[in-house]
Amino acid sequence: MAAYEKRRAAAAPAPAAGSGLGESARAGAAARGLGTEAEFLLQAGVTAMVREALLKVLEARPEEPVAFLADYFEKLVLSSPGAGGEAAAEPPGLPQRLARALWYVRLAHHSHRTAFNNNMGMAYECLSASGRRKRPGVDGRLYSELLRRICRPGAAPEDVVAALLRKIQCRDHEAVPFDVFRYGVLTCFVLLEFTAKAGTLYDVLDGGSGPADKRVCQAVLCTLEDALGASDFSVPIRYLEAGSKLGPDCLALAMDRALQERKLSVAMSREEFLKKATALFVAKVKPID
Amino acid sequence: MSGAAGPGAPGGTARAPLPCAARAAAALQLGGGADPARPGVAVIDLRFPRGGAADLQEIVFRNFYTAFLSVRVQRASAEGPRKWVTCLRDYRLMPSPHTEEGSQDYFSLFRHQMLCDVDQVTAVRFILRQPSPVWLHFTIEELQIYPPSQKSPQKDFPSWLSQLTPPEQPANLHGELPDPEKVSTEVQQMWVLTEVIRARQAAARIGRFDVDGCYDINLLSYT
Repeated sequence: MAAYEKRRAAAAPAPAAGSGLGESARAGAAARGLGTEAEFLLQAGVTAMVREALLKVLEARPEEPVAFLADYFEKLVLSSPGAGGEAAAEPPGLPQRLARALWYVRLAHHSHRTAFNNNMGMAYECLSASGRRKRPGVDGRLYSELLRRICRPGAAPEDVVAALLRKIQCRDHEAVPFDVFRYGVLTCFVLLEFTAKAGTLYDVLDGGSGPADKRVCQAVLCTLEDALGASDFSVPIRYLEAGSKLGPDCLALAMDRALQERKLSVAMSREEFLKKATALFVAKVKPID
Repeated sequence: MSGAAGPGAPGGTARAPLPCAARAAAALQLGGGADPARPGVAVIDLRFPRGGAADLQEIVFRNFYTAFLSVRVQRASAEGPRKWVTCLRDYRLMPSPHTEEGSQDYFSLFRHQMLCDVDQVTAVRFILRQPSPVWLHFTIEELQIYPPSQKSPQKDFPSWLSQLTPPEQPANLHGELPDPEKVSTEVQQMWVLTEVIRARQAAARIGRFDVDGCYDINLLSYT
């Protein structure tokens, strides 16, 4: 990246000068034809850059490609001056590396496994590249900080995030293997998505009018907990079992039963619902040891 | 249908035949004396021990030159004399009575081939016919009768599987109930996310050996 930044800087004045005295130079370029255009693109590193960007788009398959590309190029510009050119000998500072790693891990959704794992590898490399220390590698401090940053802007309740982090973060001095790194980052992303889903579920439950009924919420959460808990990990039939338990029929029955229990109606706030739902998820996360 | 099924694996499952006593084939004879006419009919009677009754699922036997088979059963009834009912009529065992084909095959007759109900049967009578004069002696051998499978197939199923649609359909759901379809969609996606975490667990370990924050110095090593 540093190399083509330099080349770009060198090539930049040419078009600017083209308006005035560069007429003859431009005519010459035109005479040399298409070959030169391709050559220029190659020299300026545009070909490689655009190809890389296209690959990233293909990997991540974002819903809004324009926004994704804009973000991608913005990051490229931001990260280039610090990392590139004469500063190459000196690695970027901790905040930059963290920001860059964060950007990498957010590029692709975790369901695009290959892309996600590739980006994870890039992020891991990015974090572990440190000139000052002799041995490269990600330590627990960096890893935990990255996890905190991933979760920070999310809608997940604070103490649930804290509970999750307690399970998956490492101590400052510990060396973090890539597999643990991948698992930790993935878990954070899935928690964010789970929270979003729980939010949508709450919207459905409250019917668009005010807070949802506590009994109904409890019934739905209990059904989910039941489906999560009863299943034995090794048996494929549990997928069927969970599907049957979480089908519309069973859920309707559970909710109906909950509503008929007693007449007193108490509301459950969105925060409380999210807290309870995400706690179910965190309980299923295997702690790192 | 029927055919050459091995005697060891009728239906492919290990199950025990019903205990029963079959009399030897009695040939129908016309006239007496030294040289009675043989019209080519023989009868085998079969009873269950201690006058008991049984439900029939399958009858397995090996043919010995019988061309046609009829089966009659006597069923237990609460009142009146027990009646014989024909449950199989002239079932063809040998396609051509004069030739060997089918003459020594194994046959299975199933409940659904019977003309009448074969529950609570107290006696079974097999009527064998062989119109060809080529075969002087004919019978059926290795006769075995199997009851319906004791184990109800439903017993193996978890309750949720046999009730994919809940038995008690709520007559009128509460009016304010949220849309179960939407709720189900969201909850299932939440379940899937939890499964993602379970399926993609980390195989590596940090390798902590500390107990209450204290390490044994011998366990520390560079990785």
